[in-house]
Amino acid sequence: MSIYYYLSIFLFCLGLLGTILKKDLISMLLCLELMMGGVALLFILFSKSTGFLDAQLMVVFTLIVSACEVAVGLSLIIALYRKKQTIYTDDIKIITE
Amino acid sequence: MAADILLTFITVVFALMVVFSKRTVVAAFSLLMTLLSIAMIYFQLGTVFLSAVQVLINAGAIAILFVFVMMLINLENFTNNREKNKTKLIIATFTVLVILGVLALVINNNIETLSLVNLADNSMKALFEKLFTTYYLPFEMATVLLLAAIVACVVIASHGKKAEEKQ
Repeated sequence: MSIYYYLSIFLFCLGLLGTILKKDLISMLLCLELMMGGVALLFILFSKSTGFLDAQLMVVFTLIVSACEVAVGLSLIIALYRKKQTIYTDDIKIITE
Repeated sequence: MAADILLTFITVVFALMVVFSKRTVVAAFSLLMTLLSIAMIYFQLGTVFLSAVQVLINAGAIAILFVFVMMLINLENFTNNREKNKTKLIIATFTVLVILGVLALVINNNIETLSLVNLADNSMKALFEKLFTTYYLPFEMATVLLLAAIVACVVIASHGKKAEEKQ
C-alpha cells in the first residue's frame, strides 16, 4: 500500500509541471484533473491508515468541486474561442476588450 | 503486492502520456485511462463506493466532456509546435522536482505509521450515516454549487454567442 503514497505525490507533481508548461488551455485543464486525482488518492490512503471516514467524504466533495471546475472552465474556453478564435495562453493578453 | 506495482505502473505510464503527448485528443484519452486505473486502486483499497463514483463522474462524465469540447473547437488548427521557452522549462522542472523531493521526504519519514491499515468500520452504511448527519450541510451546499455551476455554464457559453451574432 505504501507505494500508492509515492504514486499520489508523483501524480500531483506531474500535473503541476504540465499546468505550468502547457500552452493551450484544454491541456492545462487536463493536467489540473491529474492533480485532483493525486490529491483524492492521498485522501483515501489517509482514510485507510487512520480509520477516519471523514477523509473519504472529502473525496466525494473533491469530486463535486472538480466537476464544477471543469464544466465552468470548458465553457469559458468555448466563450474565449468564439471571441478570439484561439485557445493559447500566449494570445490572450488583454482580458477586457 | 504485485497488483500494487502493476496498477502503479499503468497509472504512471498513462499520466506521463497526459503531460507529454503532442496531440490533445490522445492526452484526453490517457487522462480517461489514468482515472480508470485510479478507480481500480480505490477498488483494491476497499473503497468500493468511491471507485464506482470515480468511474461514473470522473471517467464517464468529465473525460468525455473534454472530448466533446475538443469536437466543438476545431483542434486541427492548433498544432502544439509553438516555440518553447527554455528558461521557463528549466525553472518549472526545478521547482516541481523540489516540491516532489520535499513531499517524498515527508512521506518517507512517516511511512511506518502511514502504511498501517486501520480496520475501522469502512462499510457504505457508516459512510452514508456520516454524510447525512455530520456532513449534511456541506452536502446540501455541494448541490447548490452544482446548480450554480450549471447556470454559470449556460450564461457564459451563451454570452459569447450573442456577441458573435451582434458582429
